[in-house]
Amino acid sequence: MNYRVLLQSGLGVICTAALASGGGLQAVAAPAPQAGATAPASESAYAALAKLPDWSGVWDPAFMRPPPGTPRPAAPKLTPTYAAQYAQYQAKNRSTPGLNFVSDVASCVPPGVPQSMQEPYPIEFLFTPGRVTILIETDHLIRRIYTDGRPMPKDADPTYQGTSIGHWEGDTLVVETSAILPSTSPMQGISGHSDKLHLTERIHLVSPDLLAITTTRVDPAVFLEPYTTTAYYRRHRDWQMMEYVCEQNNHDALDAHGNPAFDLSHKP
Amino acid sequence: MIRALLCAGAVSLALIGSASAHHSTAMFEWGKEVSLQGTVKEYQWTQPHTFLWVIVQGSNGTVEEWGLEGMSPSWLGRRGWGRNTFKAGDKVSVVYYPLKDHRPGGFYVRVKGSDGQVMEALPQRGG
Repeated sequence: MNYRVLLQSGLGVICTAALASGGGLQAVAAPAPQAGATAPASESAYAALAKLPDWSGVWDPAFMRPPPGTPRPAAPKLTPTYAAQYAQYQAKNRSTPGLNFVSDVASCVPPGVPQSMQEPYPIEFLFTPGRVTILIETDHLIRRIYTDGRPMPKDADPTYQGTSIGHWEGDTLVVETSAILPSTSPMQGISGHSDKLHLTERIHLVSPDLLAITTTRVDPAVFLEPYTTTAYYRRHRDWQMMEYVCEQNNHDALDAHGNPAFDLSHKP
Repeated sequence: MIRALLCAGAVSLALIGSASAHHSTAMFEWGKEVSLQGTVKEYQWTQPHTFLWVIVQGSNGTVEEWGLEGMSPSWLGRRGWGRNTFKAGDKVSVVYYPLKDHRPGGFYVRVKGSDGQVMEALPQRGG
């Protein structure tokens, strides 16, 4: 957007306001909406939020204690390159538990989506007109999901949390995400993917305080067929979200060779 | 906090296999419980891990500072721990998983404070 456009938008607002208050200025045509622009939030848009399901409170990932009867996820069907990588991960998991978790995350580089949704600490949801925002406590991550009907941007920059649009199907929020940084992990045990990785998440309450997120991953470079898993979250209305600055007192950054290290210096 | 430890500590997690890991547990003898007694120098209530710094007096009169990493405020803070759980000068008895390289450090598993109360610092199985 250049200054001229900014100036015109600004004038448009001023003129609209003047007309609404009975001013005598001539109406000017509103500037055409920019791609990805956010419409002004109206009173009715705020009122419409009351019809959405109640996802207030703090949601704790339940991977340590999934609901009884939760089936073990099916094995992913992977392309040869990633099948080899995954087999190596599984073998290492058996021989040296814990060693598999070597990643840049130890050096405070955040995970990308969808792994960022399965960090150990809570998430929360904010509903505002045309948008759902997910706040992830671990690493202070933010996901902005536009539900205002805009199309998926065609050439978004790849980012850790990708670019998301969403829509409501009844009480289920369906989120589409693409433009995810190819260096990130699309699932535990797999590192990296192509720029074609696309996620579809279906988020809904399965009982008053239990939320399910079913995530389908599509990336022909990694998965031979779409790979779907379901994660659960328990509501804690009495919890508060906490600050999480990974650089505050991290002693676990990887060494120069990318190996786990443990800095034992007492930093005040 | 320690994402990897949450993982390594739970059988169910291997089944679900979806948690992100913060760091490897490879530097610790994970699961091998060792204990020490000492005096708290500082309790750091910090992300991504808390740290309990303890002065330990050796039998031969030596004095050594130990650095014990623990779960995060994000985990401990929701289970009864806080920045004032320990203060400098507190006598503590600490069960920890030692560093493999034998430096004076490890990961604290449970701590008994001056009042005799034992606090668990890791997820218990099934919980």
